[in-house]
This record gives sequence, C-alpha cells and structure tokens, in this order.
Amino acid sequence: MSLDDEEMERYLAEFRPSAIRPLVIEATASSVWPLRVAAVVAMVVLAAGLLWFGHRKAQHLREATFTPANKADVASVGRAETTLTLTKLALTDSENLDLVLAEESRKELPLCKGAQSTLKVLARD
Amino acid sequence: MRITKLNPEEVKSLYQRHGAALAAYACSFGLDHASAEDVVQQLFLKLLKEKHLVPRTPLAYLYGATRNACLNRRRDRGRETDLEPVESWFTHSGGSPDEVLSIQNALKELPPEQRETVFLKVWSGMTLQEIAEATATPLNTVASRFRYALEKLRERLAPDSTR
Repeated sequence: MSLDDEEMERYLAEFRPSAIRPLVIEATASSVWPLRVAAVVAMVVLAAGLLWFGHRKAQHLREATFTPANKADVASVGRAETTLTLTKLALTDSENLDLVLAEESRKELPLCKGAQSTLKVLARD
Repeated sequence: MRITKLNPEEVKSLYQRHGAALAAYACSFGLDHASAEDVVQQLFLKLLKEKHLVPRTPLAYLYGATRNACLNRRRDRGRETDLEPVESWFTHSGGSPDEVLSIQNALKELPPEQRETVFLKVWSGMTLQEIAEATATPLNTVASRFRYALEKLRERLAPDSTR
C-alpha cells in the first residue's frame, strides 16, 4: 500500500459513523414461557388466596351473628313452641299426647335403661 | 468455512462495536438513517433469537446480511421513494457537513465489493488478510479492491474534481 493510500485511509478513519440507538432486546421465545408460567402461578395463588379470605370472612360473620346467647334464644323459642304444641294436643287430641310425650322424652331425657338405669347408677355409688 | 454459535453477550458486543458502521454501510445503499438502524437492529435481533450458526469471523457475514437486507428493503419499496435522503451518517469533529456529504456520496458511487472492503477495513478494523479469509476471496483481489476504492475516493474528493 502506498503512502498516499495510508494517508487516505487515515483521512477516512477520521469520519466516524453516526451513533445508533442501543439494541432493544425483546423478550425472546425462550424467556417468554417461564414468565407466562410464573404469571399463571401468581394468578392461581392470588385467586386461591382471595377465595380462602372470602371463606374465612363469611365464617367469621356467621360466628359473629350466631353466638351462644343466640343459640340459647333459639333453644328457648323451640321449647316454647313445643309447650304450645303439647298444650294444643292435650286439649284437642289427648289420646296421642302420651305417645308424643314418650317420643319427646326419649329425645330430651338421658337414657335410663340397662347399665345407665337410675337404680344401677345409685347402687354403684 | 468454520462456523460458530454466538451467545447473547457476543451479539451485544458486536452490535456495540460495529452497529454504527453497519448502519452507515446500510445508508450507502440509499436508506435513511432510521431505516438503516432498523435493518441493523433486526439483523442482530435475528441473531439473538434464532441462535443460528454464523462464520467464526462474523463481521463479513454481517456486512453481507446488511447488504442483502438493504437491497430487499429497496426492492420492496419499489418506486415509493424516488428521492434519496440527504442526511449525515458520518460525523467528523473538524470537518464541515459538506465534507461529510462528499465522503458519503463518494462511497455510494463505489462498486459494492469495493465499498464493503472499505467499510470492513476502515470502520470495522479488519486487516486485508482477515477480509480475504472472511469473504473467501483471494488476498490479491481484496487488496486490489481496496486500492481501487481509495483511488476512486481520492479522485472524487479532490478539490478540483467535477461533481
């Protein structure tokens, strides 16, 4: 290469190509799938969390409105209704009253038969 | 020709070192600078995404791919743009804008092989030997192309040259 050529090359090299914008790297196919899976997992976890939270809240509300005091009220109302029914039955259908009373007794009173009978319990004591 | 697979860091490094020169080279095919940047960006993004094999000295490959992309883009545009943009794709700290435009015009008038050789040698820093190996061209041919290119540029840029 002659000296002139070298000079010319140096002269050309003084000109610099204009700068260009940085390489914009989009999410490549290989990196998209893990992101998608992570997004789905996050959504599922979020949905499950919301459901659990909603369920818990509903349970709390139920418990708050159905306190033991309320339970007692419900039981007393039940008893009042039973008494009223039995009174009506005694007035209108006395024949069935014994049957209904026996049935109600079986439900309400402790079992006093066999090993649980009052006599046997007292004898043990 | 030995081939290799470029990892993302190598691709980014190539872009940082040679992206601007490749964009200037793309401009020499008549593209405006923004389109030239797009061509170069797409080329490097393709390299990143497809991870396909490239020659072990990828610069000559990149210049070839840039040239093809520019020619395709010009063909696709057809008669859409008749006027070539007049803008600087080179900068010169001491030179005037006219001087920059003169260089650009002179480069545009070079035959494609000579132009590519000048870009590879001057603005991408390859030796004639490396260019010969990368382009699978005899060294003498590459040296001649470069010499003729400089001669034409010198003639074209001479103060008394007719434009």
